[in-house]
Amino acid sequence: MADLEIRNVSVKYKKLTAVSDISFVANSGEIIGFIGADGAGKSSLMHAIAGIIRLSGEIQYRGYTYKSPQESEKIKSQISFMPQGIGLVLYGTLSVSEHLDFFADIRDIKKDTKFLEYKKRLLHMSGLTDFTNRLAQNLSGGMMQKLSLICALLHRPKLLILDEPTTGVDPLSRLELWDILDDIRQKEGTIILVSTAYMQEAAKMDRILLFDEGEIIAQGTNKELLESVRNFTYAKMDKPPDDTISFDKKTYSLKSLSIQHKEPNLEALFFVNALKKNKTLPAIKIQERQSQEKIPQIVMRAEGITKRFGSFVANDHINITLKSGEILGLLGANGAGKTTFIKMLLGLYSIDEGKLMLLDKAIKNSNDRINLKSKIGYVSQHFALYNDLSVRENLMYFANMHKIPIDAALNRIKKYSYELGFDEYMDKFPKELPLGVNQRFSIAAALLHEPVVLFLDEPTSGVDTLARAQFWQILHKLKTKWGISILITTHYMSEAEYCDRVVLLKLGKKIVDDSVENLYKLHPNAKSFEDIFLTYFKGER
Amino acid sequence: MKLNVIKAYMKKEFKELYRTKLIIMVYLMPSMILILFGFGIRMDVSHARVQIIDNDKSKISQMLSSKFEHTKYFNATISNISENSALKKIKQAKTDAVIIIPSSFEKNLLKGAKSEIGVFVDAAFPTRGTTIETYIQGTILSLVQEISKEKGLSQKGTILINNRNLFNQAMRDEDAIVPGLIGLVLLVAPAILTALLIVKEKEKGTIFNFYASSISKGEFLLAKLLPVFILHSLNIFILFLWAVYLFDVPFRGSFFLYWIASELYILISLSFGLLVSVIAKKQIVAVVLTIMVTIIPGFLYSGIIMPISSMDGASQIEAHMFSVMYYNHIIYDTFLIGQGFSSTKILFYLAILLFYFFTLFTAGKFLLKKEMR
Repeated sequence: MADLEIRNVSVKYKKLTAVSDISFVANSGEIIGFIGADGAGKSSLMHAIAGIIRLSGEIQYRGYTYKSPQESEKIKSQISFMPQGIGLVLYGTLSVSEHLDFFADIRDIKKDTKFLEYKKRLLHMSGLTDFTNRLAQNLSGGMMQKLSLICALLHRPKLLILDEPTTGVDPLSRLELWDILDDIRQKEGTIILVSTAYMQEAAKMDRILLFDEGEIIAQGTNKELLESVRNFTYAKMDKPPDDTISFDKKTYSLKSLSIQHKEPNLEALFFVNALKKNKTLPAIKIQERQSQEKIPQIVMRAEGITKRFGSFVANDHINITLKSGEILGLLGANGAGKTTFIKMLLGLYSIDEGKLMLLDKAIKNSNDRINLKSKIGYVSQHFALYNDLSVRENLMYFANMHKIPIDAALNRIKKYSYELGFDEYMDKFPKELPLGVNQRFSIAAALLHEPVVLFLDEPTSGVDTLARAQFWQILHKLKTKWGISILITTHYMSEAEYCDRVVLLKLGKKIVDDSVENLYKLHPNAKSFEDIFLTYFKGER
Repeated sequence: MKLNVIKAYMKKEFKELYRTKLIIMVYLMPSMILILFGFGIRMDVSHARVQIIDNDKSKISQMLSSKFEHTKYFNATISNISENSALKKIKQAKTDAVIIIPSSFEKNLLKGAKSEIGVFVDAAFPTRGTTIETYIQGTILSLVQEISKEKGLSQKGTILINNRNLFNQAMRDEDAIVPGLIGLVLLVAPAILTALLIVKEKEKGTIFNFYASSISKGEFLLAKLLPVFILHSLNIFILFLWAVYLFDVPFRGSFFLYWIASELYILISLSFGLLVSVIAKKQIVAVVLTIMVTIIPGFLYSGIIMPISSMDGASQIEAHMFSVMYYNHIIYDTFLIGQGFSSTKILFYLAILLFYFFTLFTAGKFLLKKEMR
């Protein structure tokens, strides 16, 4: 009998079924990875196993069976659960050592020498030994996650459940988190269930469960899973047939194609699954823009831009230029200063220091921006949509804001809804729609006034692989058809591949600014962008 | 019951209250409410502005005018303006009342004939208007009594009222209002604070620490309740000092009764706050809900505005539903009457307060779920 057995578990929220009829087993010392789109049921299953949500079916842990949160109380002393969200379980006004004391006390741990030694080891592993007096609110995102993790490990749990512990954390901290997990698993024999949005991480797990629409659609080791899609992965075709999906220099097809195969990665699972379900990415067609704009060579030039919040420097003398018809990726972990920078470009934050030129115009005060508003499109981190308005009403509202004549507005809305593939959702409310659809229609809202430059703040966060692939197609089409310049921020280092040029921010400072090809030339050994950036983060320490 | 766990949570709560500076609210708000309302609410009238038009200019009419001049209740001005311009003054809110003494006032009075004095009162605020009216009548009557005594006119028919006010001899507003305010303050302030405590963790996400560990519901609630209880206990003494030394309210009863009843009352308020915190999902909802459910009964049914015994029907029943009525009965007793534990009603009311605490705390424990909803 396995140490952990999940039998036919389903989780329902009122009418919505989050997870249906899932079964799997896990043994001591195993790391099980959960991957899948947002809303695929990973978190709900984790909540069920952690005993904090009602479920049907049963879970057996080392011979003890539980079917409800009440029944799971008995084994909660052996479980640890870390929910999704950076620093979610931390108290901002408590210091690192106070957190460790608090979590030790609520777990009723005897503070003997054995515990103190263990605590010291955890602190050392997490690299927080020198920060024991720092308040949690002053820690960086990566430190917060490491602190949350060691707090969860204090009582030596035998079952560790981690919901996206690494999302938004810088690449080096992510590596360190994984080192801790690997160490704990070997020394303590812990079962670790961990979900992740990064496919590179999934490759490190002993077994991977792939979730889709509340079900596990594939499971196995990294190798097994890659093997299962190898036959469907081809080099990119120029004119792929209809029932295929092409993305990132690869074409996926269930039928055999006459071109050579290519080495798949885990993302291929999602594309192949979509093909099996007869879903292909709707073709994105972008027409020429209606109005003709003369676009200057340099769309945006920021020189020594600085933003301070009290004593905290969010942006430290940053120089960035954006050329016409270029996709510039602004990369960095949470809290690196990406959003602050974009907000300064838009005039949402005042600029404390430095010069800013937008479309050949020096920006000194808000009056300088008024005429530029019609040339800039912006999509914010959380899609500034009105939840009480339908998609159509939202778009009409944005059209009115930009004073677009009503017939032109209606025409454009109709056109974009077909081109970007959300026409079937026009009368739905944003809340009822998947994140990917909301993302596409947010783009449409930002394009209504046919801007010449587009600022996108983390548009791909939490959006599943397929929607992300589609999203990048839209951006590339826009670039070629409209000659538009795009500045996009993201914490997915792998998305750097799809940009023309990338700027990497770390703690408010620019540490890389180069074209994608150049970076690959500079780092011939790197397999992916993740590796390239890692060298910069390591070099900085 | 794991004491270690409760202690750890309490320690954390204390640190958070201190570092988020909520502690200022704990000690500022109650004293502020007491002082603002204690000085602000006035039921009786003094220094009402009275405009006297003396058309008689006799000895008696001057006696009457001087009676109005020599009392703390009125600020009288005597002038020879026309009736119309005097009424205009009321309209402009430059005077509260106008008294017009007719020309043959003395003559008629001594003859024993009917004599009419014109009195106009600004009754925009009915209670204030009625009070001024009564004072004016009283002043005039006392003059009439004096004159009849002096002139030996029909002395037999006059009734003399010999009244004595019990418990608040001086009829001071402070004595009547400040103890009631303590009942209001100790209901509102602790409840608002605890109402935030759980819902704050829900909003932030730290509630997962409770969900995912083996702390029991009772332990969790106690750990939330006790720190605020300890902090607010000090307010019982602070408010007492304000009442006795700043507002000069007499204290005639047992201090022990005051203390024990107040502690019990705070526990009720805290448990109510926790109950709100268990139900609410957002901090703002918790605060608004708590304020609505505490301030309104705290005012209406505290006996500040109107004694419960003179309420009728629905309001009488509603008053009995809220804990503030029982507590205020005990508080007024300790300050003004002093029956103490010898009164069975007070013992009964203490038992009712205990019952309230027990019920609210149990309800909170019952509704608190250790799972996501």
